[in-house]
Amino acid sequence: MNRLILIARREYFAYARTIGFWLSMLVLPAFVVLGGMLPGYMKNASPVRTVAVVDMTGQGKGPQVVEAMDRLYLRDQASSLRRAALDEAGRGKADALRDLTEASGVEAGQARLKEIAPNAARGWTPGKRSVVVAPPPPDVAASTTVAQAEAALKPYVNGDRKLADGRALDAVAILTLEQGEVAARFWSKGVTDTRAEDAVDDALEEVLRADRLAAAGVRPEAVGALATIRPKLEVFSTRSTTGEAVTMRDRLPGLVGFAFGMLLWSTIITGASILMNSVMEEKSNRVLEVLLSSASTTEILAGKVLGVAGITATVLGVWAALGALILSSFAAAAPGLVQDFVDVLTGEGLIIYLLIYLVGGYLMYAVLFAAIGAFCETPREAQTLLGPIMILLSAPIIVMQLAIRTPDMAVVKVLSWVPLFTPFLMPARVPADPPMIEVVGTMLGMFVTAALMVWIGGKAFRAGALSTAKLDWKGVVGLLKREG
Amino acid sequence: MDPALKLEGVAKRYGRFEAVRDLSFEVEPGTICGFLGPNGAGKTSTLRMILGLTDPSAGRITVLGADDGRKVRDRIGFLPEERGLYRKITPIDAIAFFAGLKGVPLGEGRKRARRMLEEQGLEASMKKPMKALSKGMAQKVQLMAAIAHEPELVILDEPFSGLDPVNQQGLEKVIHDLAARGATVLFSTHVMQHAERLCKKVVLLANGRKVFEGSIDQARNTAPRHVELEGRIAPDQVSGLPGVAAVESTAVPGVEDGVQIHRASLAASADPQEALKAAFARGLDVRRFEMRQPTLHDAFIVLTGGDR
Repeated sequence: MNRLILIARREYFAYARTIGFWLSMLVLPAFVVLGGMLPGYMKNASPVRTVAVVDMTGQGKGPQVVEAMDRLYLRDQASSLRRAALDEAGRGKADALRDLTEASGVEAGQARLKEIAPNAARGWTPGKRSVVVAPPPPDVAASTTVAQAEAALKPYVNGDRKLADGRALDAVAILTLEQGEVAARFWSKGVTDTRAEDAVDDALEEVLRADRLAAAGVRPEAVGALATIRPKLEVFSTRSTTGEAVTMRDRLPGLVGFAFGMLLWSTIITGASILMNSVMEEKSNRVLEVLLSSASTTEILAGKVLGVAGITATVLGVWAALGALILSSFAAAAPGLVQDFVDVLTGEGLIIYLLIYLVGGYLMYAVLFAAIGAFCETPREAQTLLGPIMILLSAPIIVMQLAIRTPDMAVVKVLSWVPLFTPFLMPARVPADPPMIEVVGTMLGMFVTAALMVWIGGKAFRAGALSTAKLDWKGVVGLLKREG
Repeated sequence: MDPALKLEGVAKRYGRFEAVRDLSFEVEPGTICGFLGPNGAGKTSTLRMILGLTDPSAGRITVLGADDGRKVRDRIGFLPEERGLYRKITPIDAIAFFAGLKGVPLGEGRKRARRMLEEQGLEASMKKPMKALSKGMAQKVQLMAAIAHEPELVILDEPFSGLDPVNQQGLEKVIHDLAARGATVLFSTHVMQHAERLCKKVVLLANGRKVFEGSIDQARNTAPRHVELEGRIAPDQVSGLPGVAAVESTAVPGVEDGVQIHRASLAASADPQEALKAAFARGLDVRRFEMRQPTLHDAFIVLTGGDR
């Protein structure tokens, strides 16, 4: 027992004392935080594009296009306010908030959000407009032909000239009539940033739609009403936690299950790979032979598995602490969501299941990878044996995604009975409350397989550790037969 | 006194290949035994069976009174042929770790490590990672890791390979000290000079079979004795001397024409003095006569069939 602990201790500190370990451990949370912050940051950090609209239609379409651009921005903000209010205020109030915003403006919408969803309102700010409209420069506006206007606008768009108020002009849309319908010639300096182009395009589409509906005899009031059609769809589920309408709380377990399935996959495979590399290093520098003369195969294997389990636990512990920190920072902005998340983890026993699958999965793959490491001295040799296994291991990744939407799909059910896939697929299925027979059965299969792998892996480890034979699966089987 | 190590009819087969065949020998406690043989003779396979790393296909091994080396692993120290240690570990931690595996508490292990490293002049490298040490230093550290728990039986597989002459001398001293402390040392080598200087007993293996077991002198006696004659003498004049079984003649470069060195093998019962007397009696131009005792190297060549 002392030997086992000693080996585990050495294994743990061999990794935990390296800077690389801590850096790589912090990479994932850093990516998660950055990934969450980046879209918002990019949205707010992107420069605002200034567009001038030159109306050469002779039908006053310019103001209509500018109005449409304002209307589209308002609709976007209304949707954002609705999304923010949904969890806290419910679907009905959130829909009403959207309508109010579209009718009365962002300020009115924000004020209403404070009333119906005060927590969400604390974290909500109006989105920055990506495009603003400026009056066209006088020389461009005075042009009588499109060619004249285009010649006049180029120095502005190129940045050689500024607007009267000192702003740069990023783009100019010249509105013309083509076969009786409004069209535009859009000029800008860049070709990659299409936000101004998209804004003009969307606004033109609005104007054209309104024109055609009017031409078809639809009254202007009816056109406005058409744009704000909102179906009254309410979603219920017999499994809903409230017994009524489906909320984010009901969808959360599926998402959490998927997230944890992925987490277990990466954690288990990472842990097992660490173990394999460690054994491989010992095999290549002959330390393994000395270890075998000092401790039993079981002690060495168990010690190493335990040591790397400690590493894995440290990683998960640090991630959990960081996760709790991030959650607590969100608690003020979305207390309901954070509470729901905690409820899902603890209330439905998900965390217990996750721990069980983590132990079973880690045991299976750790022993398998350690045995592979015992046959290899170089990463290239390991690749030969690991290649087929890694291809096999990509299957649960694909199937896990199916399990979020349809956890009772036949392929998900069948593959979760394959013990090597159980630790990844069952966490994704458990939130959907699969039959207990499946939960217990797959768990039993996983642990029986784990025990079998410990037995075979132990033999393989011993055979591989002292072998200097050339590596392939045929050779491995031959060695195992001799050992067994 | 029971032997520290006893092998009886031990064999090891890998499929159809017989690495070790019907091997029997004993090593008395407190002795240094050389386990000799050419590459591929079966030495490493035998050492692994003694340690319990692999099971014999046949026969019986008794180590420190136990029927399986694994049962007494804490009383055995082992240095494998191909050596290495964890690259990032420090010598002091490495020695304490391996001593710890043999039951020495970590604190005590570190104390012993410090003392041993100081004795070997490695105090400056105590806390450097192993990868920063020279090959010779690293080998010393590994040897210390193998013996820090003060084992009763020390098994060293080719311990001198890769060491420079100074370090080889240092290692010989360590082996002598181990035996002086009462430990039994079994070491494999194919460099006979070390065995000749260190061993009370040698066991010689060739093609998996034991070809000799006994003292150094007994081993030497298995090789034919030689006399060397130098002078203006014809080879047939040397082969005609009493007791001479065979002659190898070579010209001496840079010496006057006709002068040769003749290496004459003597028959088992022959007396070299008789050959010398006869040479003078026949008026041969003998400028140098030297009797050469066979070395362990000569015995090794003969016993392993290397002379054929």
